[in-house]
Amino acid sequence: MASRKEGTGSAATSSSSTTGAAGKGKGKGGSGDSAVKQVQIDGLVVLKIIKHYQEEGQGTEVVQGVLLGLVVEDRLEITNCFPFPQHTEDDADFDEVQYQMEMMRSLRHVNIDHLHVGWYQSTYYGSFVTRALLDSQFSYQHAIEESVVLIYDPIKTAQGSLSLKAYRLTPKLMEVCKEKDFSPEALKKGNITFEHMFEEVPIVIKNSHLINVLMWELEKKSAVADKHELLSLASSNHLGKNLQLLMDRVDEMSQDIVKYNTYLRNTSKQQQQKHQYQQRRQQENMQRQSRGEPPLPEEDLSKLFKPHQPPARMDSLLIAGQINTYCQNIKEFTAQNLGKLFMAQALQEYNN
Amino acid sequence: MSRFFTTGSDSESESSLSGEELVTKPVGGNYGKQPLLLSEDEEDTKRVVRSAKDKRFEELTNLIRTIRNAMKIRDVTKCLEEFELLGKAYGKAKSIVDKEGVPRFYIRILADLEDYLNELWEDKEGKKKMNKNNAKALSTLRQKIRKYNRDFESHITNYKQNPEQSADEDAEKNEEDSEGSSDEDEDDDGVSAAAFLKKKSEAPSGESRKFLKKMEDEDEDSEDSEDDEDWDTGSTSSDSDSEEEEGKQTVLASRFLKKAPTTEEDKKAAEKKREDKAKKKHDRKSKRLDEEEEDNEGGEWERVRGGVPLVKEKPKMFAKGTEITHAVVIKKLNEILQARGKKGTDRAVQIEMLQLLVQIASENNLGEGVIVKIKFNIIASLYDYNPNLATYMKPEMWQKCLDCINELMDILFANPNIFVGENILEESENLHNADQPLRVRGCILTLVERMDEEFTKIMQNTDPHSQEYVEHLKDEAQVCAIIERVQRYLEEKGTTEEICRIYLRRILHTYYKFDYKAHQRQLTPPEGSSKSEQDQAENEGEDSAVLMERLCKYIYAKDRTDRIRTCAILCHIYHHALHSRWYQARDLMLMSHLQDNIQHSDPPVQILYNRTMVQLGICAFRQGLTKDAHNALLDIQSSGRAKELLGQGLLLRSLQERNQEQEKVERRRQVPFHLHINLELLECVYLVSAMLLEIPYMAAHESDARRRMISKQFHHQLRVGERQPLLGPPESMREHVVAASKAMKMGDWKTCHSFIINEKMNGKVWDLFPEADKVRTMLVRKIQEESLRTYLFTYSSVYDSISMETLSDMFELDLPTVHSIISKMIINEELMASLDQPTQTVVMHRTEPTAQQNLALQLAEKLGSLVENNERVFDHKQGTYGGYFRDQKDGYRKNEGYMRRGGYRQQQSQTAY
Repeated sequence: MASRKEGTGSAATSSSSTTGAAGKGKGKGGSGDSAVKQVQIDGLVVLKIIKHYQEEGQGTEVVQGVLLGLVVEDRLEITNCFPFPQHTEDDADFDEVQYQMEMMRSLRHVNIDHLHVGWYQSTYYGSFVTRALLDSQFSYQHAIEESVVLIYDPIKTAQGSLSLKAYRLTPKLMEVCKEKDFSPEALKKGNITFEHMFEEVPIVIKNSHLINVLMWELEKKSAVADKHELLSLASSNHLGKNLQLLMDRVDEMSQDIVKYNTYLRNTSKQQQQKHQYQQRRQQENMQRQSRGEPPLPEEDLSKLFKPHQPPARMDSLLIAGQINTYCQNIKEFTAQNLGKLFMAQALQEYNN
Repeated sequence: MSRFFTTGSDSESESSLSGEELVTKPVGGNYGKQPLLLSEDEEDTKRVVRSAKDKRFEELTNLIRTIRNAMKIRDVTKCLEEFELLGKAYGKAKSIVDKEGVPRFYIRILADLEDYLNELWEDKEGKKKMNKNNAKALSTLRQKIRKYNRDFESHITNYKQNPEQSADEDAEKNEEDSEGSSDEDEDDDGVSAAAFLKKKSEAPSGESRKFLKKMEDEDEDSEDSEDDEDWDTGSTSSDSDSEEEEGKQTVLASRFLKKAPTTEEDKKAAEKKREDKAKKKHDRKSKRLDEEEEDNEGGEWERVRGGVPLVKEKPKMFAKGTEITHAVVIKKLNEILQARGKKGTDRAVQIEMLQLLVQIASENNLGEGVIVKIKFNIIASLYDYNPNLATYMKPEMWQKCLDCINELMDILFANPNIFVGENILEESENLHNADQPLRVRGCILTLVERMDEEFTKIMQNTDPHSQEYVEHLKDEAQVCAIIERVQRYLEEKGTTEEICRIYLRRILHTYYKFDYKAHQRQLTPPEGSSKSEQDQAENEGEDSAVLMERLCKYIYAKDRTDRIRTCAILCHIYHHALHSRWYQARDLMLMSHLQDNIQHSDPPVQILYNRTMVQLGICAFRQGLTKDAHNALLDIQSSGRAKELLGQGLLLRSLQERNQEQEKVERRRQVPFHLHINLELLECVYLVSAMLLEIPYMAAHESDARRRMISKQFHHQLRVGERQPLLGPPESMREHVVAASKAMKMGDWKTCHSFIINEKMNGKVWDLFPEADKVRTMLVRKIQEESLRTYLFTYSSVYDSISMETLSDMFELDLPTVHSIISKMIINEELMASLDQPTQTVVMHRTEPTAQQNLALQLAEKLGSLVENNERVFDHKQGTYGGYFRDQKDGYRKNEGYMRRGGYRQQQSQTAY
């Protein structure tokens, strides 16, 4: 349905770049605005993702897949997708890249968009802000600038509202990641906080008119009772799980902070020692000078005082981001639940 | 044979030449090699005989011997050298020679040498063959000997005229000795033949003499396991004393007789052999009798023995004629004992001999003192029989040992005037003087202790599941009886220290036995006359409790070594615990303060301590004191090495870690099987106690983040149970407990009960208790109570109020019990509720936070610490340590106490930060 003005042009480059060669999109990274302002998803893709999870994912296990589509102006259109096969560790010779290429080639034969525009992943209670996701999204965005990652939350979806979100790394983060320097200073310089790691791209689900017609027809037929999970008042389980996860993250965060604290203490201690050493040296030199002796040779201070390795801050950033996500989730969830509870109360009163 | 013979000839020739009683003795060094040492006085007398004359003559004979050797191999150079030496030696011996006259052997060698040289001189061809040195020496020697012999001309001519006279003497001896000697004298020159023989015997002579001497010694002592040959001498000479006189006469007679035939004709010698033998025998007999005075002749007839067919006989201690006196027996005993521990001593023979000695001693009525003394030694050598510490006595040895000790005890009891003690010196022993109390060195206590150890060793080394073990175990009664006897004996005579030791032995044999009789008596209070005689007789025996009490108290009061007291206390506690006297046992354990310092004691005591603790725990369990039971067993069980800690077996896994030595040591520490504490019972008791404690605790602290485990092992079992992919009906004891725990978690006491008490578990565990039914009732009751508590903990949040009657129906407990349990829970603030008296209901307060609230509380706590940590980072940046924020932080902590119940309010206050 979508036009293919530039699609064909960039097809060759992008498909080859999935293997991780070309350094495209480097120039654009610095600019504040990102390449994609909106993501338009085909209904088919949504259904395929849901189906994939239903068939293969369970519990904390996640499913992943490749998104295909094309970029139209500042809009990313995702028109198709295919899952990564679940493979165990036994068949190590399985070549994912090979599989993807093969898949895309086949899709191309049946005249489907075969441009690689990102990937999708399911999540368990919104715990997706991880190092793995960051790395893989970075490599995607590094190769194909427009790539997005779609996060599908099956649990929320089961509660009655589809939860599908598109994320991109912010240009700032891209910059930092490119340098692979996660020291506190670098992050400070990059002015990155947990809020500025990912940017959410608004999603529009678009269906063909035919499908829309079908939907309307189906909507009329379906009974109201089918939608009642939206009105479920049970909250404790979900909330409990979220709290539990949040607590784990907080624990991790605490540990991280303790680690950082030790580092700081050590460095400051070292700084002091260094300072003392320098002073001593200076005094000695003064004395020697007064006695007419040549001053002591300068020594390499960095050799004497090896600077401590600063702990990578990326992890704590990610944890903070994750905590943020949880908090958002909980806030959202409790807000909805409160609404529901008030509604239920009102209904109760009304009935009485 | 030839050896005996030749030596004989050698010594004989000397003695005959000297014409006096003299013994050629080997050089002093040989004494050391004798297996049995002579007693002092004997040696002395012999040394006196060895006079200056002896020495000189010996020197001369030695030189002569070398010359003859040299002559034989035609080594003239050597001859020359030796001849010169001989001359000098002769000069030294001059004074003696002047007194005694020129020794015949000296003349003989001179004559022989001259003849020999002349012969060589004449033999031109031989001379040519000779090398230059020899030829030169020959001429020199010839001249020298001519010159030298001029001094002895008269002697030599005398000798040459009558060479037989001297030669005969040799020949005579030879014939007398053996068959083989007869033809030797057929040489034209008898003298040379004799000389030849002598030369031949050179080397062995010393040795054989030694040998002979040894035999002499042994004949007197007649006791050495090493050469049995000697015994026949002893046996043949076992004539009665009355023959003594007669014997002396026959000596002379035989001597006379001997000479007559030999001078006649040598060739007849063979025919005379028989006759000779008879004579010899006779000779020997007589010889035996006048042992010491005729020592020199001993050599003469002794050497004959080689030819006589040996008859092996049972060893005899004494010559028949010997009057068996104390001194003799003791001497013999000492000799036997000296061989003890030496290489090559046959221990079995030694024991046998000692036993014979006892027999002899008793036959001759030597008095009990001697017998006791020997018995002591028999037992000691029985213990010695096994050189290896690890190996154990053979059954027959063991039996012998027991009998022997019993006999010894019999004697000691029968003769109260015998004093036995370690500290009695060998010298101050009084074995036979009946006027004074008999004193014998030896310690009956040590023997009995050793016996007990041997018994333990036997038990350790027997397969506990064999009939053999049962057989051995039957001996335990004997061992106990012996210990009891010794105890009685020592109570009369022993020092307190000894009494303590024997008491400890007694205790060690008593403490682990359950006193069924006393138990029976307790159950059925005395009804008086209705009981039969036999029953009463059976009941006569002292209660083991009373016995233990008595023995232990004595030890507590009198013992000065810490170890005995410690052991006694532990055994006492064990015994109390075994008989369900929990409070006595516990108090004793606590009062003794053993828990504090037991780790400083040696491993066997520690094992005993562990056993005691386990028994204590089991006892507590029987009393329904699960908590005490759990605490007592925790140490043993939590290590997972109960088997090792109780000395009931080695763990395989540590086999690699220890070396052979350690393993041996550990093996020796093992407790015999009949003392074992059933490990499954132990584990079951532990797990059930843990279950009764842990399940309600878990229910109460379900949502507590920082809940501790009461029993790690129990949790481990639970986890193992959870990991099972397929849960079948429980098979093992552990599975039963796990299944029961699961049921209890739900408050389902009936299922729990059926899992804990059923056929399988009865067979495996509960029936092992002496009062199984009592334990089972206790257990059911416990399960009901704890299930009720668990139920209330788990489900109280669901209820607004519960009727106590319902609860009492549910758990089949009577109302007051339910009431008391619930009251207790309310008092302990375990259950937030109140009792409504009129309606008999429990009204829940519902103040316990819900799951979410709990989570929120935990989260708040965690956030608190996060903030705290974060502030530290901030502090750092500010460069201020401590100060304002620190105080603030403490504030959080303080607030927590009341926040626990605060619920929402607290959460809000937390979010404010």
